[in-house]
Amino acid sequence: MTQDDAFAADLLRGHTDTIVLGVLRRGDAYGFEIYKAIRDATGGDHEIKEATLYATYRRLEKDGLVESYWGDESQGGRRKYYRITDAGRAVFRGNVAAWTATRRIIDSLLDVKESQQ
Amino acid sequence: MNTDIHRLLDEAFQGIEMTPDAQDLKEEVRANLVARADELEAAGVPPTEAAHRAIAELGDVRALLDATTDAAPRPHADGYAALQQRHRVRPKPGFVVRAVVWSIAAVIGITLGILGAAGVWPIPLGAQIGAFGFAATALGLLVGDSLSQETTTNHPMPQNRAAGYFLATLLGAYGLGFVALVALGSMPVWGVVFAALGIIASIILFAFLGASQTNRHKAWTRQAHTSEPPNRFEREPETAARFGIYSAVIWLVTFAVIAVLVFTVGWWWAPVAFVGGFAVMMLVLARMLFSPEKKS
Repeated sequence: MTQDDAFAADLLRGHTDTIVLGVLRRGDAYGFEIYKAIRDATGGDHEIKEATLYATYRRLEKDGLVESYWGDESQGGRRKYYRITDAGRAVFRGNVAAWTATRRIIDSLLDVKESQQ
Repeated sequence: MNTDIHRLLDEAFQGIEMTPDAQDLKEEVRANLVARADELEAAGVPPTEAAHRAIAELGDVRALLDATTDAAPRPHADGYAALQQRHRVRPKPGFVVRAVVWSIAAVIGITLGILGAAGVWPIPLGAQIGAFGFAATALGLLVGDSLSQETTTNHPMPQNRAAGYFLATLLGAYGLGFVALVALGSMPVWGVVFAALGIIASIILFAFLGASQTNRHKAWTRQAHTSEPPNRFEREPETAARFGIYSAVIWLVTFAVIAVLVFTVGWWWAPVAFVGGFAVMMLVLARMLFSPEKKS
């Protein structure tokens, strides 16, 4: 992993909770679906470790931002689905607002031109 | 079907104490591994190889368990009041003003509607219905607006759900308005149809919203609740059960007394029995929930 990759992975990991909430906003999902959605969005370059994700699910559930329920699959183990709660949606909106504001500050501090994006 | 996954998963969880949490995690991991292995197989990886790779990507399950359980027992030094102070959210001035405006509008609408319906102030039936509609809308806005506000303990409710509560309140309140119009004799009895439609639609909508409601409490409130000492009814379910039976008896007697009062001295005495029953239930609750601990 190059230094660039490490930097990007670090940034991504810092927002795992918000990213997972963002995936669940589109609909209920089980662990592998969430993992795959993140992996596909990053083009497979950076992925958030599964261990990190399991810890995230537990934390989000404890804080009441997601709820979980078991699916009714009969083959290959039952899937544990997660659903975002009203509290989760509110926290997600707040985090996105904070992210947008922070991104603007960092862009201006790092002198990133809009045209480069 | 790929059975290697299950064998490898058992091996990975070997020597780990199977607490309910660990069992839960294992089942969750199992379904995810199967899905990952299926994906690899679809990409052309041989089944055994796929199973091994899926497990390898997972890493050490012990780390997983540690990571997921470390956050659980965090001692709370602060009391509820201190936490509440720290997370305090003041109501927005705009909301306070709006709430006052909605309330005034509701009171005005109800007053005009009743005055009109009672014949004190001669306005046509259409205007009376309009007044109650105005009041019902104001009440609905009050409910919807309040729910979409952030409070110290709750996150704001999403807009469309708050709109659902607005609609349910509006329908219910409008239905009650029609009840008032019919009861005061300003509308023929068939007006009850509108009342019933409104109230029933409101009940259905409220039931749906209530059943599909998800958590709205903030994290600190949830944690504060779990760290609270259990009350007497939680510690002694049999006391709670006893209280339930006492309550049933109290209300049974109350309704019997109401019936007797209605048939002997008149129906206007019925509320007295109701208040009496409620008072007795509260005394029993205080006695049973907060009684001094017995020395044993």
